[in-house]
Amino acid sequence: MTKNKGLAAFCASIYAFLYLPLAVMFAFSFNDARRNVVWKGFTLKWYGSMFHNAELLSALVTTLELAIAASVFASILGLFASYAMTRHAPFKGRGIYSSMLSVPLMMPEIVMGVGLLSFFVRVHIPLNFWTLACAHAMIALPYTASSIRARLLSLKDSRLEDAAMDLGATEWQAFYKVTLPLAGPAIFSGALLAFTVSFEDFVTSFFIAGIGIVTMPIKIYSMMKFGVTPEINALACCLLLLTVVLLSSQKLLAKKETQS
Amino acid sequence: MAKPVTRREFLKLAVVGAASPWLLACAAKEKEREVNFFNWSKYIGKDTLSGFTKDSGIKVNYEEFADEAEMFAKLRSGARGYDLIIGTDYMIPSLKGLNVIDPYPTGVLTKTGNIDKQFLNTPYDPDNAFTIPYLWGTTGIGYNKKMMPKPPTSWWDLWDEKYSGKISILDNARDCISTGLLLKGLPETTTDEKDFAAVRDLLVKQRPLVKQYSSTQYMDSLVAGELFMAMAWSGDVLQSARENPHLDYVIPKEGSYMWVDNLCLVRGSQHREDTLRLVDYLLEGPVAADIANTVRYATPNAEAKKTLDKDLLKDPRVFPPPKMAKLLKFHSLLEPDIQQLWTDTWEDVKVAG
Amino acid sequence: MLAPATIWLLAFLLLPVASLLAMSLAKRGPYSSVIWTFTWENFARALDHKYLTVLIRTMCYASATTGICLVLGFPFAYFLSFYAGHRRETFLILLMIPFWTSCLVSIYSWIIILGRAGLLNNFLLNLGVISTPLGILNTPFSVILGLVYFYLPFMILPLYSSLEKIPRSYIEASYDLGAGTIQTFSKVTLPLALPGVFAGCILTFVPCIGDFLTAEFLGGPKTYLIGNLVQNQFLMAQDWPFGAALTTILLVSLISGVYFYQKLEAAELERA
Repeated sequence: MTKNKGLAAFCASIYAFLYLPLAVMFAFSFNDARRNVVWKGFTLKWYGSMFHNAELLSALVTTLELAIAASVFASILGLFASYAMTRHAPFKGRGIYSSMLSVPLMMPEIVMGVGLLSFFVRVHIPLNFWTLACAHAMIALPYTASSIRARLLSLKDSRLEDAAMDLGATEWQAFYKVTLPLAGPAIFSGALLAFTVSFEDFVTSFFIAGIGIVTMPIKIYSMMKFGVTPEINALACCLLLLTVVLLSSQKLLAKKETQS
Repeated sequence: MAKPVTRREFLKLAVVGAASPWLLACAAKEKEREVNFFNWSKYIGKDTLSGFTKDSGIKVNYEEFADEAEMFAKLRSGARGYDLIIGTDYMIPSLKGLNVIDPYPTGVLTKTGNIDKQFLNTPYDPDNAFTIPYLWGTTGIGYNKKMMPKPPTSWWDLWDEKYSGKISILDNARDCISTGLLLKGLPETTTDEKDFAAVRDLLVKQRPLVKQYSSTQYMDSLVAGELFMAMAWSGDVLQSARENPHLDYVIPKEGSYMWVDNLCLVRGSQHREDTLRLVDYLLEGPVAADIANTVRYATPNAEAKKTLDKDLLKDPRVFPPPKMAKLLKFHSLLEPDIQQLWTDTWEDVKVAG
Repeated sequence: MLAPATIWLLAFLLLPVASLLAMSLAKRGPYSSVIWTFTWENFARALDHKYLTVLIRTMCYASATTGICLVLGFPFAYFLSFYAGHRRETFLILLMIPFWTSCLVSIYSWIIILGRAGLLNNFLLNLGVISTPLGILNTPFSVILGLVYFYLPFMILPLYSSLEKIPRSYIEASYDLGAGTIQTFSKVTLPLALPGVFAGCILTFVPCIGDFLTAEFLGGPKTYLIGNLVQNQFLMAQDWPFGAALTTILLVSLISGVYFYQKLEAAELERA
């Protein structure tokens, strides 16, 4: 038991290490100094002024729009690819194809960033909102694909689609009457993950965001270079709350699904 | 549970999913009344742009850069669509050489008369075709009086072992190498590789003492007391001094450089008319004065001096008196083929072990 | 149905990587343009003494980070898997929450903590442990601390899932057959957890190699990493071909690393 206690204490200290910056972020969101490096006193004003800071709010809106677009793209792509890979006859190179889908997970983000930048500039693709959204869809694709594929595989085992088709449904009908509704929660949970990936992405956006596209992480980066106000801490606290809610609901969904 | 999608909707989604980047890229091309303005960081008044938008109804997309190399890189990678950029005097030949800036059309701007005559017909733009001066300033040393009771007077203080780990150096090839050449008594226009090697050795010797190479973050670090001294630009230190009264700025006795930042029109701009309107607005006396009051740099706008803060106008650190002005000179204009040597030297310093 | 994902893979993954490879063989022209030739010059330059130092430094930092993460992460995952009982879900979520904050804000918090006038120095000064503030920020220490902070969950999660997979009966059997705690751990638990160790190491090492934010904000001149160098080539020095060559080197070494890892894992599985 002593070993157990020692380990428990060790884990507690790891948690302390992980939560220390969060605590500081939270504490300094009440800091009454314009430049957020030295503690000057307690205030709540940043939570108010955050909502009047047009630049911050527009960055927030851009980030949300981008995350929605990217997660929609990534879900559609993931759904199609997973369907093809689980339902259609195995094609040559399927193994390579499916590991290709997870490559963005394994690649350092900076490689993605500079690769996309050099390619877009080379073939004169404009660097606008939609190119960035599509790039985000690419980095989020592994998440949606794996979440959806797992669900489609378990559905395949249940043979419900086969039953539908035996009863005279075409493949399409079986797809949108049976597969899609049943895979719905998995698609949604994949989309949620994709949303968070896009929402948090800094590196890819940093390299290929065109002018006027300022996402939240890019805004925070430039504020860090040019001087931070505690508004950022206040906003980060609110965003963390939002992410916690989003991802807990994703966890709940995933849990429900494994139970069903 | 979501309602099942119909087949048609499904197909539509599929097509949109596959073709969206190109379709939407085309759709997004619709022209808006806006200006894409790319400026040095911390280099504009608090309400300047919103004031302009209120006056004219034109939206300004404002982006900042921390280093001229970053600006060049972003300009060069094209496709980003900047309309108006800031070019420092010594960059003008390169900007012209790269064909990225256009001359101003004659007779469109109405407020050019506000510009101080001393900033016209300069060596970098003899016909006043490409540039409209925006602000000017100097390079020197910012320091914390509390930590340095005896203020620095010389560039060599930045090589003093005493301050190891407590100084910051500008992350800017031009400023650092020019200063190195100055300290070595070499001309800025040198093309001799040996001279550059000497400067490189000098800067590499300084490297172990440097806490950070930074053109922007040093402001926060100075305020936080993280640094004793920083090689700095005048206005940046004076801006920071608002939050930490112990900060001061000095021009070293060996001399230093002054520079003028100019508004330049980007070639291929889609919003030329709106851009010119913004330039005219920035030339208005009260607007220029407000910018200078905020950023604590000197303004080349004669009209603006009427409404400038009195303490700013009298501040020798902003508008150096004749005695101090003798220590200051402009950067030389370099041939394009020599610039590589500057970039390489600076990179050698940055990656040195 | 594969078409959309294939288009995406082509346009946003394969062609960009191919264009990087092509560019790594090109040359920088006047005013930093790109001249499309065929030359190994960039690679020769990348292996030049001064850049090699940066490359080696990056490898050292990434290895150190991976090692520290392993040392910290293993007991943690072990506790979670063996002692946390029904609360393990909660513990896992608690582990992920800091990871969901914008890493930029976390970096900023570390600056506030580690600075000369920061919380840690103030705390130590008030305690009387030190008399002058320590310069902790912008040192190799602060960079590795930041890297460990960001990539620890990448280590813990695969470790945890491989420990979870070990049938508890194996461990009981080992005890029943008279093996002690240490023996059971080294002969049963550890070998069975090895795939997780490998996966965790790869997942920590790979992003560490490409990291540039941590070194940019928590580091100083002595902690210039390959990520900073690449970023610099693309966004500052404008030598895209050279930047592409550096990226290619990074990519090739990573791919061979991952390949090696898969071979190792396969051999390991076969043995078990």
